[in-house]
Amino acid sequence: MKTDFKRQLLLSLLLACSSPAFAEEHEHHHHQHETVLSTPSTDSVFNISDNWTTADGKPFQLGNLGGKPTVVAMVYTSCQYVCPLTVQNIKRIERSLSAAQAGKVNFALFSFDPQRDTPAKLTEFAKLHSITSPSWVLAQGSESAVRKLAVTLGVKYKKVTGGDYEHDATISILDSNGVIKFQADAMNKNIDGATDALKTLLH
Amino acid sequence: MLILSGCLFSAAAVSAEDMVPVEDMVLIPEGSFTPFFLKKDNAGSSSATTTSINAFWLDAAPVTNRKFQQFVNKHPDWHKANIKKIFSDSHYLEHWQNPQGTADTADLDKPVVNVSWFAAAAYCEAQDKRLPSTDEWEYTLTDNERDQENLQKQIMAWYSVPNQELPAVKTKPANGFGIYDLAGLIWEWTADFNSYMAPPDSRNSGDKNLFCGSGSLNASNLGDYAAFMRYSYRESLKGNFTGKNLGFRCAKDTK
Repeated sequence: MKTDFKRQLLLSLLLACSSPAFAEEHEHHHHQHETVLSTPSTDSVFNISDNWTTADGKPFQLGNLGGKPTVVAMVYTSCQYVCPLTVQNIKRIERSLSAAQAGKVNFALFSFDPQRDTPAKLTEFAKLHSITSPSWVLAQGSESAVRKLAVTLGVKYKKVTGGDYEHDATISILDSNGVIKFQADAMNKNIDGATDALKTLLH
Repeated sequence: MLILSGCLFSAAAVSAEDMVPVEDMVLIPEGSFTPFFLKKDNAGSSSATTTSINAFWLDAAPVTNRKFQQFVNKHPDWHKANIKKIFSDSHYLEHWQNPQGTADTADLDKPVVNVSWFAAAAYCEAQDKRLPSTDEWEYTLTDNERDQENLQKQIMAWYSVPNQELPAVKTKPANGFGIYDLAGLIWEWTADFNSYMAPPDSRNSGDKNLFCGSGSLNASNLGDYAAFMRYSYRESLKGNFTGKNLGFRCAKDTK
């Protein structure tokens, strides 16, 4: 887990460093949010156009997260241990923000499990974890959409016998343009790195 | 002829509808094989260590520069001048060196390399295909256990020589399934290259140096150093990586 976490950090650093153009672009579009949203920068995950379905049955694309920073994790609802902990840690990140700040952040959970995690299952999961804020989105997509997002976020996973998933537990933070700015092991109780990254993006 | 031989294996398992030939693809019959890593909870039970594979279509040969060029012509987003940073490192199609950013005529029948996983996946999707899973790819390589000794020798001979000028695809004989160039030409992307291939105990201990430590002791065939090389190579990849010897082929479900 630790080495992988380092690797993911490295990946995010690489992504951040390999894009000297981004900084300029960001400055350039600073006062034109709509322009940024319609043409994501070339290192943005919003370039992935797979269709997802949210817990309330609505179609969803990664680009819909644009305009606000987003805390992202991949989970599945029949997961007993790692995923509930991941959600708890994301909620701790949410609570570490002021109400005004939290309203300016998206929290997104994408399911590994296209077979079992129907929108109804996701709704049930949200209820179980007292997720009621409109800032949260839970979504499920096709096997290939899940794989593509996982590859993009550097999340390793494999479906194992019995329908469960072996997977990395990673929290990623995207900026409002969908560029990965921070990644951390979701099992890590210390959420300071994540909240600092978020607060920087909110300034 | 090659497709026919593939069908003979699977006649009992696959319906007639599945057997409608797909151009340049071979029907790989259903079967099972033993993946490189054993699951700890299955250890000791030899039947539980095998993985079942459903029948599927697989490209007979790796995708060539010619075919990838046709794809890029139709989908300019994947031209080397337009490639998005999130989808590839800076070496995308590096060997396409003429000013238009297109493939060299002399290379058209060679396998395309310097392509990221995203580019490979996009190519396959555009043909209404997909990348093969790692299990499907490895299963095809086992070739229904035909002449394993010779196969391992061939693979190790290839792994042990330094990078050479790539030959065209299909210059060596196909395997028993009718599949060319699985070994001896290039490394290939699989859909789930970013799968966990480690036994659960080594993960829980937080030890990620699997290939130097306890993980490799769980290999189902300790002599299969070639498989060890492939799994550790895949383990080292990221979706945006490209390589001078890294290409791909596509697969397709039977239904």
